[in-house]
Order: sequence, then structure tokens, then C-alpha cells
Amino acid sequence: MSRRVLLHVGCPKTGTSYFQDVLFRNQQVLREHDLLYPADRFDAHFLAALDLMTLPWGGIETEAVGAWDRLAAEVREWHGTAIISHEIFARATPTQVERALASLGDAEVHLVLSVRDLVRQVPAEWQENVKHRSHITYAAFLRTIRDPARDSRIGSWFWAVQEIPDILERWGSSLPPERVHLVTLPPPGADRGELWRRFSRTFGLDGLPLDLTAERENPSLGVPETSLLRTINERVTSVISPPDYRPLVRETLAHQTLSRSTSSPRLGLAPADHAWARELSQRWIEVLAQRGYDVVGSLDDLLGPDAVPFADPDAATADELLPPALDAITALLVEGARLRAVEERLHRELREAHEELERARATTAFRARRKVVTTLENSPAGRGSLDAYRRLRGRKG
Amino acid sequence: MHGWVAHLRAGGTTPWLAWTDAATGPGTDATTAPAPSGRALPGAQQLELLRRINVARQSGAQPRGDHDRERTRLADRVLAAPAAGRGKADLPLVGAATGGFGAQPVDPATVSAHELLRVASTLLADDLVALGPDRVRRGVPRPWRHRFRLVGDPLVGAAAREHLLGRGRPEGGPLAFVVAVGGPIDELLAHTWTQRCFEHGSKPWAAWLRFWRERDQLPARVDLDDSIRRWGGRRPHVRVVTDLAQLPPHVGVRRLPEVRVPGADQAELARRIAAVVGIRVPVGERPALMRTLQKRMPDSGVAPVVVPAAEQDWVASSAARMTRALTRAGYPVVGDLADLAPHASDATGLSGHGGADDRQVLELAIRMIVDPGWRTGRERMVQR
Repeated sequence: MSRRVLLHVGCPKTGTSYFQDVLFRNQQVLREHDLLYPADRFDAHFLAALDLMTLPWGGIETEAVGAWDRLAAEVREWHGTAIISHEIFARATPTQVERALASLGDAEVHLVLSVRDLVRQVPAEWQENVKHRSHITYAAFLRTIRDPARDSRIGSWFWAVQEIPDILERWGSSLPPERVHLVTLPPPGADRGELWRRFSRTFGLDGLPLDLTAERENPSLGVPETSLLRTINERVTSVISPPDYRPLVRETLAHQTLSRSTSSPRLGLAPADHAWARELSQRWIEVLAQRGYDVVGSLDDLLGPDAVPFADPDAATADELLPPALDAITALLVEGARLRAVEERLHRELREAHEELERARATTAFRARRKVVTTLENSPAGRGSLDAYRRLRGRKG
Repeated sequence: MHGWVAHLRAGGTTPWLAWTDAATGPGTDATTAPAPSGRALPGAQQLELLRRINVARQSGAQPRGDHDRERTRLADRVLAAPAAGRGKADLPLVGAATGGFGAQPVDPATVSAHELLRVASTLLADDLVALGPDRVRRGVPRPWRHRFRLVGDPLVGAAAREHLLGRGRPEGGPLAFVVAVGGPIDELLAHTWTQRCFEHGSKPWAAWLRFWRERDQLPARVDLDDSIRRWGGRRPHVRVVTDLAQLPPHVGVRRLPEVRVPGADQAELARRIAAVVGIRVPVGERPALMRTLQKRMPDSGVAPVVVPAAEQDWVASSAARMTRALTRAGYPVVGDLADLAPHASDATGLSGHGGADDRQVLELAIRMIVDPGWRTGRERMVQR
């Protein structure tokens, strides 16, 4: 039975992809140090989260059947420390949290929440929505999440995975505060290794010989690039299914093409929205300070950076959209050419298989047999005779 | 609030606001009564659904063998059931103590039918998984049977295929005739979406239609010409059947059972259930479970989905295009290719998009939760 379980439940857009990738690629090293990160595929804990929360996700959920129970069983059987990590666990309801914690047995559970200031999270979440087929404008997104009713799908999801005091209430209310660890993201401009050092300290990874190469990240997009992607979504969301959208739009366009442009302005908040985010963050900081959690970093990190000049993605001009649009067309043509090559290779293989079959059938004996079968299949009596013959031959093996 | 939960678990039907009014009267303190089991409190969706289930139980349709233990077990299942999908998380109740964060508290009576259906579909999916698939009757294959491959209308095809399998006439075999079952194309679209709901699930009706209209394509099973070519059909071993009365001899029998077209509410509920079943059982097991549901789901009298008027132009042009393709291909036709032209169906009782209203779907879901007859009875015989 695990002695300790470190349960990392969020938040999205806090460096979780990189962290999970390091854990996934270093499973063997971790095991040698009594640390378990049980995952047979990179997204194993994502699937477990979908299963725990009964969350259909564009068809991927069909690969998640029983994933939580399997994960929990592996964790229970481990003799040392086990790590579970996925950011969408943040959305779990109290009933689901109760089930999750109960299924971890008697292990000492530590809850970990990595958190970033709202000033950066709000634009990042809008980008994430756009990368998941949404074509909501930035202004409409901000109106939606600032609506206290949280009545929309986007609003309810945003706060379920970003409202830090609420997530900690749902996940941490049954744990002593010293077992709830809040990892804050360093402010912009901080040393790139600082976030890893905070994760490493929290999860007890200091000193382990881990391969920290960044193989998998969730890169952000610039303002015109996000605006272009949103415009594309307006056209394609209704005609491209999620299984096609993921490789063609999110991977090929967003991650592999549009995210390469590092010179574009980054998305931020307009002054009024910045002030609102700061004020809300300040209230959260006060509440979190009172709760006495273990903070790795500083609660002040949650206040967010000062306002910077705002580039409005809803007002991006055709001139600004043209360069990323040309990049997108180029990338899709290259991808189209690659797929054509794959199609051509498959056709060639099929043609060769047909030719081989035809050669095998080109004998006089085969042609005679085929003539007999065709004639017999044209009458009920013939079909009966053939069936009887086939059964007889089948029985004789 | 725990007091209201206990009230509902005991079969109570008092709405939350009426309960709190009574509880704040002199000498009562029901809103702060201790939790009956110490478990996490459910959301407004689960509580309101349970209340409506209790109302339905009281208002007639009492299930056979009803007793307290069964009622409490059902209540606990409802309270623990998650609301499936990426909608709202569990909603707190207005007037109940909260930590000041999280979703805004609501009066459960105002929770939409859509939200209640998210919980109800989880319960029904779990019931279906527990029930397991009905056994499919397979007759001993008749050696002299007519070889056929059915394509086209999936509702007709699924019903005929199963009937014929039971009669020892499985589909396929060497040199099989490709029998393409057609009909008015708007009906074909409606049947195809409906059958998808009872297989792997689908997008909502309106979104599904929009998907195909904006692509200006037809779904694989509606496009008869493409279906015939996909199955390697060549003249003269092809029949395009638009007159269903003449279909039986082309699959080697004298008659076929009448096809029951599920109502729009049944299809929509099945669609939602299929989404949850997909996360409960391996993907290959879902169609058999959903076919079981199709045969056992109680009728409600709601009409099947219809193509709304706004889509009729596209549907008509698609029908004309398909008719031209079939004519050019020169396949033998049983009936008349003119029958592929759409005929506007009656949309009485349906919503503007030609599908079911969420309230109709919820009504059916609650009926199925309250009355387990669809699970405990033998499968319904649909032959008429």
C-alpha cells in the first residue's frame, strides 16, 4: 500500500504538460527511488480524470473506461510515494472528490495545486478555448466569465478549474492544511528553471537524475495568431469533427505553426479587466493566507504583473492576420502533401496485393472452379449444395 | 439542507424553498440538521431530479413491488450520480451555507430540464450497463438462402438484419446482392441520425444536419450510390428499393416486421445515454447495449425527428443529385427513384429544429427511472 499519495489536481495553464511529460518519461528512474507515476501512455491520468468525472471529451472518453479504478489500484498497491497529476481534476464535484480520496485507501494524501495569477490565466484560458474549437470573441469571453451567474458552459468551466479557493475547498476540506500544497508560478521574467524547482521540491524530486528535456509543452499564441485561429473556427467548427480537428487544427496549425511566431504581441487584459482581476486576486490571497496551506513560492505571485499596453485580438486587422494566414495555408498544404504521399503508398501496397492475388487466381483450375461456383450461386439448389460442400470441407479441416 | 436531503430520501416532494420556509418556523431547524451519512452534499441537479422522481412516483405509475428499501436505494443512486458532460458542476442551493466561492446558489425548482437530464442519463446508462445486452437470436443458417447485403436506410436495415438473422438468413456471403433501401431523403436523414443515437451516439440533431449541409455532403448511409460502390455492388447484382412493400423477396423472405421509428424524445435520450455508456464499457460493447435499449425503451407518442423547413432546399438538391447518380449508374430499381425526393414531414409537437424539447426528453427519462419495467420485463416484440 502507498505510504503517501501526491495528488496534483490543477490548475490548467500552470506548466502541467511539461511536468507530466517529465514524470512520464522518467518513470523508471522514479521507481528506482520508490516514486510511482503509473502511466502506460502520456495522457493516462487525463483518461482517469474523464472516467472519475463521467466527462465525455470529443470521443477520447471511450479510451477511458475504468481508467480511474485502474490508476487508484496501482497507487494503492505501491509501497512508496505515488504521484497522480492532471489539471482537469480541478473540476471534480464534492461527491467525485469523496470517491477519489476513498479509492486511494489509507495512504497519507497530499493535495497539490499549482496556481498562476488571473492576469495571465484569463487570456491563457481564452486561448485554450480557441484551441478547443471555440470561436467566442475575447470580449464575449470576458463578459461571460465576469458574469456572476456563471450560467454558460464556458463560464462554469472556467471558474470550476480556476477559482483557487473553491478548488481547495472541494479537494482539501478533509485534509489538514499542512498537507495542502500551493505551488505558485513565478512572475514573468523569472528564471525559467524556477517553476521546475518549485515542483521538484513539492514532489520530492530534488537530486534525482531526471531527464528534463522539454519534449511536450503547450505553447501560447500571439494576438494575431489567436485571432486568426478563432476566425478559422467560425468557419470550420461545424464541419470538422473533433477527431479531425485535433490533428489538423490544434496540432498542425496552432501548436506546430502559429505558436512559432514569437515576435507577435502577447495577449493581456484591458485596463478595466486588469483592475478587476487584480482586485479578485487580492481577495483570494487574503483567504488563502488565512487557511494556512503550505505555499511553495509566494502568495504575492498570485497578484499578477502590472498592466501593459493591450493588443485587442478582436480588433486585429487584415494586415495583421495576413502573415499567420499565409503560414497556415503553407502548413496545411505541406500536411496535405504528406497525407497524399501516405495515401499513394497505401494505394501502391493495395495494388501490389491485388496483383499478387490475381496471379494466384490466374490458373486454369481456379478459373474452372470459379465458373462452377458462379453458376451454382444463381439457384437455391446450387447455393444449398455449395453450402453443404463448404460445411463438409470445413468439418474435415 | 441535510434535513431536506433526508426528506427527499424518504420519498418527500416538498420543493426546497417551501421546505426552508417551514424549517425557519418556530421550533424548527431543518436547514442545519446533521448530515444523515456524513457524505458530501449533492448538487441542486441531483436533489431536484430526486424530488421530481418522487413526484412521479406519487402521481400514479407506481412500480410493481415498490417498497422503502428500493426507494432509498434509488434515492442514493440519484444523489450520487454525476451530471455527465462539460456543463455546470454540482450547483449549491440558495439559502444554504456556502464558503462564498463556487457557483452561484440556485433554487432547485429553476434548474433546467437540460441540467436534470445530465444526471438522469447517467442513471439510465448505469441501468443499461447493469442490464447487459439482450441475446440476439441466430437461426441455423439456411444453405439455400438468398445472399444479400443491406445498405441505405439504417433503421430498416437494422430491423431487417436482426429478423433475418433469427430466421437463419444472415447478411453477406459470396456474390451477395447489394440491396439499397431508399426513401424520401429527409426521412432517410432522420432515420440515420435516430439509428446513430441507438448505436454510438451522435451530435444533436440540428448540429448533425448543419454539419452535413455546410459540407454539402450526405452521410455514408444516406448516400445510396456511394454505399453500393463501397460494397462492390455491380449491375445486375444490385437492387435499389424505394418501395418497402417489395423489399422482402429481395432478401429472400415473404414478409418483414414493420419498422418502429423511435420518437424524437427517445432518440435524444438515447443519444445522451450513449455518451455515458461510452465511458462505462469498451467501445465495441456499446452498440449491442444501445440496440437493447432501442427495443426496450417505452413509447411516449412523440413524433420522430423531422428535417426543419430551413434545411429543405439543401435536402431537395441532395436528393436530386443522388437520383441523377443512381440513374446514371443504371442500377435496377424496385419502386421509383422519384420517391427519393423529400416530403415535408409533420412536425407537430416538436421544437423548431425538428427535434424533441428537453422537457419531453426529461419526462421520458423520469418515467424510465421510476418504472423499471423496461429493464425487468422481457424485450418488447416489435413485430406488427
